[in-house]
Amino acid sequence: MAALLKAALALPVLALPARAGAIESGEVGLNILGYKERGLMRVTEPVAWGRVELADGWEVKGSAAVDIVTGASPELVTNVSGKPVQVITGASVDDRRTIWDLKVSKRLGEWTLGVSGARSSEEDYLSRAYGLEVKRDLNDRNTTLTAGFGRAADRVRSHDDPTLDEPRDTREYLVGLTQVISPVTVVQTSLQWGRGEGYYNDPYRHTLTFYPEPSVPAFAVDTRPDHRNTFAWITRYRHHVASHNGTFQAEYRFYRDDWGIHAHTAEIAWSQGVGGVWTLRPALRYYTQSQADFYTPLIPQPQPAILSSDQRLAAFGGLSPSLRAQYQHPGGWRFEGTIGYIENASRFHAGGGGSEFFETLRAYYAIVGVSRTF
Amino acid sequence: MAAENELQVHAEDAGIAGRAARAAIAEVQRIEAKYSRYRPESVVSRINAAAGKDAVAIDEETARLLDFADACWRQSDGAFDPTSGILRRAWRFDVARVPLEAELAPLLGLIGWDRVERDAAAIRLPQAGMELDFGGFGKEYAVDRAATVLAEHGIASAFANLAGDIAILGEQPGAEPWQVGIRHPREKDGLIARLPVASGGMATSGDYERFVVVDGMRHCHILDPRTGHSARGLQSVTVHATSCIVAGSATTIAMLKGAIDGMAWLEALGLPYFCVSEDGTVAHTFR
Amino acid sequence: MRVAAALLLLGLCACAPVAPYQRGYLARPDMGFEESPGMAKTQEKVFVAKEAASGSGNVGGSGCGCN
Repeated sequence: MAALLKAALALPVLALPARAGAIESGEVGLNILGYKERGLMRVTEPVAWGRVELADGWEVKGSAAVDIVTGASPELVTNVSGKPVQVITGASVDDRRTIWDLKVSKRLGEWTLGVSGARSSEEDYLSRAYGLEVKRDLNDRNTTLTAGFGRAADRVRSHDDPTLDEPRDTREYLVGLTQVISPVTVVQTSLQWGRGEGYYNDPYRHTLTFYPEPSVPAFAVDTRPDHRNTFAWITRYRHHVASHNGTFQAEYRFYRDDWGIHAHTAEIAWSQGVGGVWTLRPALRYYTQSQADFYTPLIPQPQPAILSSDQRLAAFGGLSPSLRAQYQHPGGWRFEGTIGYIENASRFHAGGGGSEFFETLRAYYAIVGVSRTF
Repeated sequence: MAAENELQVHAEDAGIAGRAARAAIAEVQRIEAKYSRYRPESVVSRINAAAGKDAVAIDEETARLLDFADACWRQSDGAFDPTSGILRRAWRFDVARVPLEAELAPLLGLIGWDRVERDAAAIRLPQAGMELDFGGFGKEYAVDRAATVLAEHGIASAFANLAGDIAILGEQPGAEPWQVGIRHPREKDGLIARLPVASGGMATSGDYERFVVVDGMRHCHILDPRTGHSARGLQSVTVHATSCIVAGSATTIAMLKGAIDGMAWLEALGLPYFCVSEDGTVAHTFR
Repeated sequence: MRVAAALLLLGLCACAPVAPYQRGYLARPDMGFEESPGMAKTQEKVFVAKEAASGSGNVGGSGCGCN
């Protein structure tokens, strides 16, 4: 054998070192999320995920996670102190949620078809979902059109009320376009509609409002409409700056639903390659939402049939900086970590006008992950 | 060279890249003109015209290529033979027909690299009708020379592809490897695998490039000079080596040796390879 | 808003096609939309639990009772 190679050396051609990566057929990884809200709950969530390409254009993706929530969530909004505040009434909760999802897709020429299934279960909430997706490549794979449909059938229960067992059914529709604009720029934009029906109340929340007169306080359990129609427009942008070995990433989402909520989400990030194996990605995310029509921390008189004091339905804004670091070993191992801080506050609401009694949320989170391509 | 050819060159500015690319293309054209059997003034045509007559003087480049072909002939136990090109007179892949033994016999009589008389300065085909054919390694040599010319012009990142014979000088900007797709042997325009390659030469031999199917049996253009018949046992072989000429001869020899001997030979060669066996399964993959 | 979205889509389709040999940079992981599958999905969950808005370009995922 050496004779063949030796004879080649006598030729007036360069010997090019034969260097190649592996034929990548998949990757698996494990991530752990830690989340802590100032003074309140902690969440730890280990997630195992994987993706594998099989023969003939088949691909399988899946993940399994366990959400472990400890600590308490405020369940009551009361103005007994003079202004409405969130109060923790119940005992500290130790909740465990298991989630898994699986997606199988097949490429047929310029088409890709995908089917997915997902299940999330905890003691008081069960969700089973499936999805269908079709993609079509056009223009020499410069353009991809996507259409998707998803359906989730949920059941809501309560540890406080064993008789509660209500369904919630959601259908989602998606159309999307991914377009390569230049050798260094690509854009993706999608429209997503949701139609939901069923039980939307939070079984653990209530509102207690005291009035100067009459002296009898009003009490309301969290009651929301029995339907929710949502619309979201998401646009993502990527632009690589070769001279700096970095990529600019931006994302914007417009959201509107028939509960009266409008929200805008914008995130910008810069992914900087350092030394060929490291990547650092600082990011800043801004969020603003208007309040739901039926949101109120104080029960008005006469008491409406539908109201909620859940401040996730209030008008507020949020800022969240984060930093991700990634180490990609040429052998296929990747180590990554993200740290982030979230502050949701009334004063961050775009254009002022955030909900008056919104209690500022401050939370930290960190995600560490390890993965391997094979 | 009537197939799809492609050259991608990255450099600090377009001027440098353009000059280097033009020089590389000129080199490919020079080699094509020099060794094409379709051109009457080429070295190969002159050698073939003198078969059975006088020796023809050859230069150093031609001598070294013939030394390489000789090494391939020895390593393949005679399966790789630069004089086997005349079998195309019996095998017409535009008609679904297997030639009779009576048609092959006289052609086999004109094949025999061991009978060729040569030294460092001249070559003589001993019998009229014998033909020398550089088709088995000419394109691979041309793409290696293209890469060499680019390197001489200071290029460090380039991808040269002459109808599937590939030479890669170095990664794309941003340390991104080039994505090389290996054709699926049975699905037109489909890929069976994609390999990220940073540098090196790659070639593929397959039974799908030119073939006929007769009575359910496939006969492809890779013909064994010892029998006159088609190689059998593997659908395709891809090899990654330090030059395309080594990769290309390795794939041809492996296809000719067949499934068992071919894979054993590739194992002994020690170069990374990918091969698809007769039944369509991937018998061996890179890494 | 809807009209603006439709016009943006039409405008994008008028770009000059990028040939396969020009796609070197586009293959970078940070130029894709599914980078770090573990990270991005996990990070999204953190925000969804505290906000009313939803939608990340994927359908067929299960609900969580948290939003």
